[in-house]
Amino acid sequence: MDLRYSGTMGMISEFAASELPKDYYANLLSEIKEINKKLNAFNVVNEGISSGFPFSVKDNICVKGFEATAGSRMLKGYIPPFNATAVERLLAKDYGFVGKTAMDEFGFGSFGINTDRIARNPFDTDRVAGGSSSGAAVATAILKYHVAMCESTGGSIANPAANCGVVGFTPTYGVISRYGLIDYSNSLDKIGFMARKAEDIRTVLDVVRGPDKRDTTSVDRQITGVKKSRLYIIKGTLEKVDKEVALSFSKFIDKLGSEGYEIKEVSVEDIEKSIPAYYIISMAEASTNLAKYNGYKYGLKNENFVEQYNDFFTEARANFGIEAKRRIILGTFVRSANVKGRYYYRALKIRAKIIERMSAILQDGFIISPTLPMKAPKLEEAQRLPPVKAYMSDFLNIPPNLGGFPHISFPFDYIDGLPIGAQIITSHFNDYALLDFASEWEKQFEYRFKYNLGSL
Amino acid sequence: MEGLPIDSLCKVSRIALTEEEKARMEKELEEILEYFDSISDVDCDSYDPAYHPVEIQPKFREDEVEEYISADEMISQTKTYRFFVVGPKI
Repeated sequence: MDLRYSGTMGMISEFAASELPKDYYANLLSEIKEINKKLNAFNVVNEGISSGFPFSVKDNICVKGFEATAGSRMLKGYIPPFNATAVERLLAKDYGFVGKTAMDEFGFGSFGINTDRIARNPFDTDRVAGGSSSGAAVATAILKYHVAMCESTGGSIANPAANCGVVGFTPTYGVISRYGLIDYSNSLDKIGFMARKAEDIRTVLDVVRGPDKRDTTSVDRQITGVKKSRLYIIKGTLEKVDKEVALSFSKFIDKLGSEGYEIKEVSVEDIEKSIPAYYIISMAEASTNLAKYNGYKYGLKNENFVEQYNDFFTEARANFGIEAKRRIILGTFVRSANVKGRYYYRALKIRAKIIERMSAILQDGFIISPTLPMKAPKLEEAQRLPPVKAYMSDFLNIPPNLGGFPHISFPFDYIDGLPIGAQIITSHFNDYALLDFASEWEKQFEYRFKYNLGSL
Repeated sequence: MEGLPIDSLCKVSRIALTEEEKARMEKELEEILEYFDSISDVDCDSYDPAYHPVEIQPKFREDEVEEYISADEMISQTKTYRFFVVGPKI
């Protein structure tokens, strides 16, 4: 196990320094299975785990020999014959794979509700865990020693991390190989981590990052930790979030100001257009990625081979959920020859503009905001939201995801017993600076957890 | 904005909607498309499309044979006949 950072108090070093009881995993697994009946964090629990610091894997990342459904009925029964590179690298360092975590189907969702097995918020089971890496956040919130390998396309790490009161880190695009990830949107997908301490994320990040010959978009670049003493708040942000969140966030900012950070407001031209631009790009890419699920290659099988192939494919593809169907139809549309200039190419140009504008600001400061505009909603509230309203609720998480900027979410307050997260964004490849920032914060603020399964 | 050609989009993407799904979807898709249309007034013509968020240098690996997953494992998820994957008739 990598103990490079054992001088600081990450859970990984604490765990590694302990004498593990012989039956540690036997007890832990039965505890996980019991609590999972209530919270649905895991789709699969690894009965064979016996050693190593526990890590879970979002169900759209492949672990050899374990079902990978990406939260979809279309992939029911798919057992990958290989490990994702990021998984392979952790296993090679003796980390222990504990199970596959629940998620919105193919990552399509902000609340974790677009799937058959809905993860519940550990602080209040009537509320959502967030999405799409819902199970990863719940697993982190219930297990004392654990890191969650997860993935973000448009906010799928920051959002559930904030809702469940854990640290969620999304690296710069390309820092972690995507080989073995069940793609949603290739130009937006980033594998990242959640943990209870930023320091643990640093430890596993250093194990998995770096170029991979099996992912040509993985980059061979050093990452830095340049501290910024200026914090930018994008103008208009606080007017768009719930009053209680805005009030609490203002107090948090005042505190950071009193500790020496310079707080400044800034405008980013057309930043609000990054949301429709993001959905256009992600749906366009998703609709091509989902074309391969047609009933005989992966997962769910249609064995009615006598049918004409169009009928055969259509019959199998009826198993997609409603949100997946919606995105396939719209993604197919925005790529159509007669409109792709108006939607798809225009969205790519907007991405270029947003990257240029945000990069200029991030040169000399971090961008800070609440992670989410509201505390975790109740399940029924989230289910009632029309799609456009649900998409717009991601407005704080989408800009950094569209631009591939590293960002982190960590709890900074609790309202009515529910965690509230702050999000910090920095420039491309300055990833360590975010972990440093959160580690500093952890020295003065204790995160709260309702469960501590696997305590020593 | 013209209406969304839902039937032809479903046909090319091999998606069949139930009557119930279709009724719900028509209104929702029009609303989403209206939202997408809000990008039309962004001044961005001077930018090249950003296909990736960070600059990615083209990379090629050596054209060498290597041992990875066996062919049997690769097709282990499909129905096979001898060494062939069984699919629908074309």
